[in-house]
Amino acid sequence: MSLDDRQSLLAGGKSGPAIVPGHPDESLLIHRVLDPDPDNRMPKKAPEPLSEAEIADLKTWIAQGAPWPAAKASSSLIPSATSSAGVSSPVAIAQVTQEVRVSGNIAKPIPYPRPATPAQLAYFEKNVRPILVNRCYNCHSDAFKEAGGLRVDVGIAIFTGGNDGPVIVPGHPEKSLLIQRIKSADAHKRMPQESNEPLPAEEIATLEAWVKDGAAWPDETEKLPQTPGRIAARYDQLRASHWAWQPLTSPPIPAVHDTAWSSANIDRFVLAKLDEKKLAPVKDADALTLIRRLTYDLTGLQPSPTDVKDFVKDHSPAAYARLVDRLLASPQYGERWGRHWLDVARYAESSGPSRNIPYPNAWRYRDYVIDAFNRDVPYNRFLQEQIAGDLLPAETPAERDRLLIATGYLALGPKDVNQRFKARFKMDNVDDQIDTVTRSTMALTVSCARCHDHKFDPIPTTDYYALASIFTSTVDAAGVGSRMGGASLQYYEPKLLNYLSDAGKAPKVPQDQVDMLKAQVDSAKKTLDDFDQKYEAVLNANPGAPTMGDEHKKQRAVLARNWINLSEELKLTNDLGELGYGIHGARDGVITDTAVRIRGVEERHGPIVPRNYLSLIKLADAPIIPPDHSGRLELAQWIINPAHPLTARVYVNRVWQHLFGTGIVSTVDNFGSMGDQPSNPQLLDYLAQDFIRNGWSTKKLVREIVLSRAYRLGTDVPSGYRDIDPGDRLVWRHAPHRLEAEEIRDSILRSSRQLDLSHPAGSPSMRLRMIEMRDDGPVVHSILKAADRSPYRSIYLPQLRGEVPRPLAAFDPVSQTLVTGQREETTVPTQALFLLNSPFVREQSLNLASDLLSDKRASDTQRIRSAFERIIARDPNAPEIEKVKRFLLQYATTWRKSHSDGKASTQATLVSLKHDAQDRKPFALTEGIFRSDNLSQDDPDDTSKQFADETPVIVVPDSAHQAAWAAFVQSLFGSAEFQFVR
Amino acid sequence: MSNPFTVSRRNILRSAGVGFGHLALSGLLGSIAGKAAAQGLNANNPLAPKRPPLPAKAKRIIFLFMEGAISSVDTFEYKPELEKKNGKSGPGGGTITASRFAFKQYGESGAYFSELLPNIATHADELCFMRGLYTDTPAHPQAVVQLHTGSANAALTRPSWGSWLLYGLGTDNQNLPGYITINPPIAFGGASNYGSAFLPAYYQGTAITDQGFMPNIKAATEKDLERQQIDLIQDFNHEAATVPGAPDAIDGVIKSYELGFRMQDTVPELLDISREPQHVLDAYGVKPGLEGSFARQCLMARRLSEAGVRFVEIRQAGWDHHTNLHQGLIDQSRMIDQPTSALLNDLRQRGLLEDTLVLFGSEFGRLPTAQGADGRDHNITGYAMFMTGAGVRKGFSYGSTDEIGMAAVEGRMHINDLHATLLALMGIDHERLTYRYEGRDFRLTNVAGVVQRQVFA
Repeated sequence: MSLDDRQSLLAGGKSGPAIVPGHPDESLLIHRVLDPDPDNRMPKKAPEPLSEAEIADLKTWIAQGAPWPAAKASSSLIPSATSSAGVSSPVAIAQVTQEVRVSGNIAKPIPYPRPATPAQLAYFEKNVRPILVNRCYNCHSDAFKEAGGLRVDVGIAIFTGGNDGPVIVPGHPEKSLLIQRIKSADAHKRMPQESNEPLPAEEIATLEAWVKDGAAWPDETEKLPQTPGRIAARYDQLRASHWAWQPLTSPPIPAVHDTAWSSANIDRFVLAKLDEKKLAPVKDADALTLIRRLTYDLTGLQPSPTDVKDFVKDHSPAAYARLVDRLLASPQYGERWGRHWLDVARYAESSGPSRNIPYPNAWRYRDYVIDAFNRDVPYNRFLQEQIAGDLLPAETPAERDRLLIATGYLALGPKDVNQRFKARFKMDNVDDQIDTVTRSTMALTVSCARCHDHKFDPIPTTDYYALASIFTSTVDAAGVGSRMGGASLQYYEPKLLNYLSDAGKAPKVPQDQVDMLKAQVDSAKKTLDDFDQKYEAVLNANPGAPTMGDEHKKQRAVLARNWINLSEELKLTNDLGELGYGIHGARDGVITDTAVRIRGVEERHGPIVPRNYLSLIKLADAPIIPPDHSGRLELAQWIINPAHPLTARVYVNRVWQHLFGTGIVSTVDNFGSMGDQPSNPQLLDYLAQDFIRNGWSTKKLVREIVLSRAYRLGTDVPSGYRDIDPGDRLVWRHAPHRLEAEEIRDSILRSSRQLDLSHPAGSPSMRLRMIEMRDDGPVVHSILKAADRSPYRSIYLPQLRGEVPRPLAAFDPVSQTLVTGQREETTVPTQALFLLNSPFVREQSLNLASDLLSDKRASDTQRIRSAFERIIARDPNAPEIEKVKRFLLQYATTWRKSHSDGKASTQATLVSLKHDAQDRKPFALTEGIFRSDNLSQDDPDDTSKQFADETPVIVVPDSAHQAAWAAFVQSLFGSAEFQFVR
Repeated sequence: MSNPFTVSRRNILRSAGVGFGHLALSGLLGSIAGKAAAQGLNANNPLAPKRPPLPAKAKRIIFLFMEGAISSVDTFEYKPELEKKNGKSGPGGGTITASRFAFKQYGESGAYFSELLPNIATHADELCFMRGLYTDTPAHPQAVVQLHTGSANAALTRPSWGSWLLYGLGTDNQNLPGYITINPPIAFGGASNYGSAFLPAYYQGTAITDQGFMPNIKAATEKDLERQQIDLIQDFNHEAATVPGAPDAIDGVIKSYELGFRMQDTVPELLDISREPQHVLDAYGVKPGLEGSFARQCLMARRLSEAGVRFVEIRQAGWDHHTNLHQGLIDQSRMIDQPTSALLNDLRQRGLLEDTLVLFGSEFGRLPTAQGADGRDHNITGYAMFMTGAGVRKGFSYGSTDEIGMAAVEGRMHINDLHATLLALMGIDHERLTYRYEGRDFRLTNVAGVVQRQVFA
């Protein structure tokens, strides 16, 4: 029997099925590995039975339904397939399967560097290398490509071999693939492929002689460049002196001038610093300003008119504290603060640069983050889950899934899937993981040390590769591989996904339906071929005839896409990723310490660096990484060690920044020597210590800060203060800031009562296949359309890299490729144009206006009041009401003049909006989503641009009255008062 | 503080002469660009024009991007040895393949062009060829992104070259975006090719389709209605600005409305090429559909440059001839030859070549050896581009590849060198145009780049 795929396991061998999904105790596989009789026990010939842990893993896996990735599984020799089971130690499982495997041997790379005599090396340089250069480099070298995964220009690459394993068996030319292929009689196989002629006999003989003689190759391993003395000296000095790397202090609560101002600890620290500069805090913010500020800061939404009224009536400290607690307990809190973390985690739903491949299950990580903030998962636990969730114990399948999903943090980065050199692809992704982990948690720019010792911070390049060894021992289970070029499903690698624990229960399409689909694919292919043949016949009949016209190209593209679509359909039948069971995350792989890459060049290997932490931070009780561990779990433990000087400081500083606009350290993502100095180091350390004492609770931290008087200050600027402290770094006032893109969209929808505050089950992107999408192609277009229509909060909008939803694009949305602790705040005319002309703002203005007008009993004054309350959370004053009334009158008059001919509008498209709530269909998350562009690799990209110039929806009101009210509402959305929080 | 809605006097005068008189209607003649330029960096208007640090003739760039990699040895890189060695085994394992197109010499400089580009060839004596280019990565996505941003590192997207230019020089016409990319790449890095990455969003490129479409640019209501609405918004804004401790940015918001209001007129009018006289449309070969896409882009590029846009990029995709090389080149060349030539003529006639730099080329080249029956694979070791216009040495070739066009051997120019040279032509020392991000000073040329002064006039 074969254990290579799930089907065979279920079908079983002579004695029946090997596994009974869900019932480990009834499964033969378990019986056999547990058998006390060594002659019956599996794996046979193994001196020892499997370890208890390994057996436990197998049982868990079977108990979970024995999930197995669907595609490619039947022919797969790759042991990692089983680790999709999501059991606690995928490595152990992989080893088990490998041992009990009936067939399959994965060739090992040939050891390199290899021993060679000077004479052998001289022979190689004089006779062999020139052949490789002249005959092979066009397809197998640095400047071109690695056809078949093989390069012959560097030792490490040629001895590692290509996609089919090593190509040289030293001493045995007849067994060496390289020799076999250059001697092949089959012209389709014979190398060099791009040459009509075989290699001259003497060159073949030279290569054979070289292999026979042991395939000598110079040792290209390089020594580490010496760290210049002045840098080494600076390292020592920096390690000892730079503030951020020194242990946390426990500063005493300082004495202050004005003890009556506040007794809160935070305030004492703030006031002490102000005292030093002889500055005094300005007066407190009024109730209206405060409730708006607090509600935005904690939930990303404006306060409701009722909340405002209640708070204005009673804004006693107790009422304020009640409000704070209510907001912290609301689900909207996690959506706001989860968004902050997603910025830092450079979260997105696709691979981004080069070829943009969707991550259809990324939303699970998004939900994990929101949920973690709402449940106030301690930050130390939160980090551990994201870095090493797959390695943490789980009591239930649901918890196992949650922990696997958490590792999406490592996997959801930008990936250059078109990187044709696989080794570089791997190291680029490792680099993204190192950068994300070190910068988001420790605000260190470790990534700078990929090519050379860090120029400013004491991070030698060996430290970088110590971390790299942890991540090269980890499988980046995002589900994508790299290819030189390709289309359709060629970048999708199901074995590079993790799977939900109930994947075993996935429904299966019956074989007859699969056969039907197969027939459809064949028929579509035939139609396409016939079309091409007909065309060729026409060309042959009239030589000189003009070539393919646009019309012909279009027709052909339709046929080709139909065929591609059906082929994809067929390939993904019964694919667990396609069925939504995939998880993008991480898991342990083969434990391999990696070499320093000299100057970051993938092929220039230096010494091997064992898995380890940064030498910059020495912790007495740091765990030692066991030989069979990737080290991720230990790395996570090292990061969250309470004695770590950076982790808590960096995090409390991020939280402070979200509440005050500027961090105590203004460079929130860089605490290195090129970063900022803390404006109030004692306060920073107090907050960090307090945070740790409070069990790393984000909610407690946020609560303490917003209850401080410093947070509740007004925005006044006393004269002269700016000369002393221009940036308000010492917090003598509360500095106003612009709303973020998400807050602007959500508030507009909220005020027009169109915002659905429920948590959607997934994302429009979950319909997508892991196939390249092109800008302006059908997939992207359908996704952006879905974003336009979505009634949910912005955090739930589709977030494909480079494809920002239109309602968010104008206001400095987060760049999704890098750790981003702080959003930009630019003012550009495209923002004004968005607020004036975008279908989104126009439509919501009309919605809100219609809503105001639908209350027939209300007076205009009441309506104006209501608009102010709903949009900017305050009452208008009397002159404002008068001003608006004059505007409404004047606008309606002008409108009537230009629409007097009875025609509704001069505009091109008229969309009549249905304002009756009952008419509105519920928003279906994935309705209308194209799953794939259905493009072949050589589909000229411009033919897919069918949507680029689509006329945007123009929203036109029904009457002068409505038009005027909509224009007024829109003006409030356009006002600076709406866009800024004071 | 300068008025951010300035427009240079030259542009107004020139525009007035060619049908953009409305630009002058704003009554802005009092505030000319020179005033702002004298002040250097202006915190209140990050896009205020700045005087370039070094003397320079070029004030703006038009880049004609041949996406997919045009085959140099079939178009403007004549290699007689290719014919002689046709069919022989070439370096690296391929079969040397001569071009199937006939070459001949043009102009006094005697530059060779193949029959594919007869119109561009007439400009031979005006062009400056760079024939020793090379780059790092033989795959489109990385190479396209590197051409546009100086780096192929996917994890850390860098600002695109137009963003660097805006950051360094600001822009002359404050009524228009300073950096416009028409028909930008829809794969191969997409928006990162015109994004500002970690530079503030002021400097990002504005994308426009080859039909002249830009989101939200069309006024949603009639002018007088919109004016009333903006007046109300500005009323609110002015009031908000008087509240003690008001956000500093309110000033900018107020200005952005006025600028946006004007852009609704200026931008669509500029992009509306139907207003051009028929003989101009004919000269460019403007027609609807894909066939006329590049012609429309060329004409829009002229209008935008003329109006003072600092950096304009236009694009013709479809040069990736792994197969169908012969017919593919014929089809592609037909779409770009006449429009490119018309653009150069038009720019020259209007005196714009005096201060505009035009660059033509691809992310890399193609091999002199065959791929399959009728194709050429990527070549990053040697390829050519050409430029013309302000500050450039005319009728001149710099650098060369080996005798069959395989690898750059003389006058070698890496992408970083190309960028350094372009910046120098614009009056900027590439080593001094830096932006600090995450503790490090970044620049377009990373840690490399040598200005190739040989190409200077």
